[in-house]
Amino acid sequence: MRLLWMQAGACGGDTLSLLCADNPTLEQLIEEGLELLWHPSLSVAPPRYLEWLIDAITTGRTPLDILCVEGSLIAGPRNTGLWDSLRDRGKKDAIAELAEAATYVLAVGTCAAYGGIHAAPPNPADCVGMQFDKASPGGLLPAAWRSRSGFPVINLAGCPTHPNTIARFLAFLLRGLPVTLDELQRPADFFSTTVHQGCSRNEYHEYDVEDTILGDRGCLFFNLGCQGPLTLATCNQELWNGRSSKTRVGVPCFGCTSPDFPRDTSLFLTEKIGHIPLRLPIGVQRANYMAYKDLAHEATPARLIRREMEP
Amino acid sequence: MTRRTLELELNRVEGDLTFQVELEDGRVADARCIGTTYRGFEQIMLGRTPMDALVITPRICGICSTAHLYAAVRALEDAWDIAPPANAVHIRNVSLMAEIIQSDLRQTFLFFTPDFCHARYAASPRFDAIGAAFTPFKGWMHLETLRYSRRVIEIVALFAGQWPHSSHMMPGGVTAPATARRIVDGQSLIAELTRWVERRILGGDLGAWLEIAHADEFDNWVLERPEAALTLLSQAARFAGLHTMGFGSPHLLSFGAFALPEPMVGRSHWLASGVRFGGDAPVVPLDPSAIGEQVRYSWFKPHPGGKHPFEGETVPDYQPASERYSWIKAPRYGGEVMQTGPLADLVVDGDPLVVDLYRREGGSAWLRQLARLRRMTQLLLFLRRTLDQLATRIGEPHRIPVPPDAKRDGQGAGMLTAARGALGHWIGIRDGVFDRYQVITPTAWNASPRDSDGIRGHWEESLIGVPVQDPEDPLEIGHVIRSHDPCLACAVHCLDSGRQIRFGV
Repeated sequence: MRLLWMQAGACGGDTLSLLCADNPTLEQLIEEGLELLWHPSLSVAPPRYLEWLIDAITTGRTPLDILCVEGSLIAGPRNTGLWDSLRDRGKKDAIAELAEAATYVLAVGTCAAYGGIHAAPPNPADCVGMQFDKASPGGLLPAAWRSRSGFPVINLAGCPTHPNTIARFLAFLLRGLPVTLDELQRPADFFSTTVHQGCSRNEYHEYDVEDTILGDRGCLFFNLGCQGPLTLATCNQELWNGRSSKTRVGVPCFGCTSPDFPRDTSLFLTEKIGHIPLRLPIGVQRANYMAYKDLAHEATPARLIRREMEP
Repeated sequence: MTRRTLELELNRVEGDLTFQVELEDGRVADARCIGTTYRGFEQIMLGRTPMDALVITPRICGICSTAHLYAAVRALEDAWDIAPPANAVHIRNVSLMAEIIQSDLRQTFLFFTPDFCHARYAASPRFDAIGAAFTPFKGWMHLETLRYSRRVIEIVALFAGQWPHSSHMMPGGVTAPATARRIVDGQSLIAELTRWVERRILGGDLGAWLEIAHADEFDNWVLERPEAALTLLSQAARFAGLHTMGFGSPHLLSFGAFALPEPMVGRSHWLASGVRFGGDAPVVPLDPSAIGEQVRYSWFKPHPGGKHPFEGETVPDYQPASERYSWIKAPRYGGEVMQTGPLADLVVDGDPLVVDLYRREGGSAWLRQLARLRRMTQLLLFLRRTLDQLATRIGEPHRIPVPPDAKRDGQGAGMLTAARGALGHWIGIRDGVFDRYQVITPTAWNASPRDSDGIRGHWEESLIGVPVQDPEDPLEIGHVIRSHDPCLACAVHCLDSGRQIRFGV
């Protein structure tokens, strides 16, 4: 399959994440038949080739199976897109034209999916995602838009996207495996797990042993802003770089696969009602949760209170 | 005399880069480096709580997110007058060293060397060996770099949880201690990586290579090891004439890096900071107050002369039809155009080999790339020593408690060496939130446009006189610019202070 990778308002983190994928690796995918028509960091051909290629694709001379878009779509100033220009026009316009010609369109990273970090207030460069503006349907492309395969833009969310989420999803397409999307157009196979699942601080959470300062061994959910129980991603089910995850080393989950990343509030603080977080684990009722926490608190073993357990 | 203007976009760099190049009789007579993207980070930071910098600023750059995190945490500690414990400093250094090794490997063998497989170099006696090593996704060195750059980044993940974009450093320390398990994993990874570097890149022992102090010893080293990637890179680059071009600014700037909590093997830093003005001038101490940013040729609201980052402002003022041409500002040091990066780092630090080669042939594109590999090999050693040091201090604190009243208003700076050179974050905090956040990235130094006096930036200057054999395929320009390791993701959206403004109808 032929893949074209476009970087819009991006840090390049999703490209680096793809290079970190170890199962499968990028080189395995290429050996298996993934053809990189163009990738800004990896292609040898001179950039004039990109111009030629965009023309060939948008006029139907070269088929395009997969368009990957990395980075926020920059609309500023005044919807011209010239703050991210490609040959004197907004790059966003070239990307929209390419999307029309592509069988699958993948927004790689939360920036391309929902606007991401560049769309945080005051959204100075007028950024949106490919088919979302934060959580609202409709971004660069309207909500009803569909690619040639019949799929909307497929959102491989994350900041950056988990390395193996990118590589595995490309393998899904290469091998013709079924794709189902959730309401935020993320592939369900990679977004049906909370970051809390597999977190090695789970026992602390279970017994309500909550840290108040960074650098300790307890749970980060009640005080330090951790979004693990409300964030869908494989970070603790499949470790990063084959080794670890943020919560395992005491860094809160910031909810980077969610459309509202980064939250407008302090990222290391949990907003609370009374002593209970304002935002509860997905689907949990407040009254039940309070009862459960009170009970759990009573049952806490001393080894957890003394934080003897290594996360 | 024939004169011709080329407009070139450049790939295999991080971010978007366009050059306008004037050719005169087959050589570059003038150049303009154009940063084409504005992401507006600064306005996002203003009004946010200080700790948020630890999450947001790493996302400035996907290939050097740890360096941004480290600079941000240092700026906060400077503002709040906090000194982290020794283990925290070592753990931060481990993370940054592993990130830089990763970046240097990927830049060299994924971004820089593919150009040497170009058919134009078929006359090189080493062309077949070079192609067998450097061809993307086929050559042994390209494939092995993909593999081992993944391995080295595992060292960051041991302490940071993930890479890119972690936030494991906070004022007062790091979030996780160096446990024996983490240390032993890191030591094993660095041992594996070192064996690979010795076998494939150096063709010999790391210690022996680092002992080399003279240019002629270097010449012998590569001659005796024809199959090593170092040799192939050096021969390919010299066949392309890169030792005769791409010099740019003679003024070298290094912020230094890897401060040691206590002296080790007689050093206080693994890389010293300093400045060297041209030629054979001595290295002088870095004076942070000498830094100023100018905007005469940048798309920001004009102000005369340079402004120190503590005083700077960033108000976008996009005027594509004017003489201004870039989203990058023009940082200057004492008014001078500086170059920063591994070459500057190693000359300022006094690495005998790089200093000797610099004396012999000057700071060419070839030496710049060689210095990057040399620095990478030094970091392998520093990283191992740091892990060994941590192994003697297991159980010591990895953070100190920060009393709530320490988080007061004020200003601070975090300056260090990232993969591409001198990186600084300058912050101001008022009423508990940022009222100023300015970043000057290494690429902003190198890729700057002209300054208030009309003096070209370092990259621009480094292209002057470069011969271009085929204007349709200006390979030489790609070589020279890639030797600077451009990271436009970093450069063109520096975090700056500035008032919040809105665009649109």
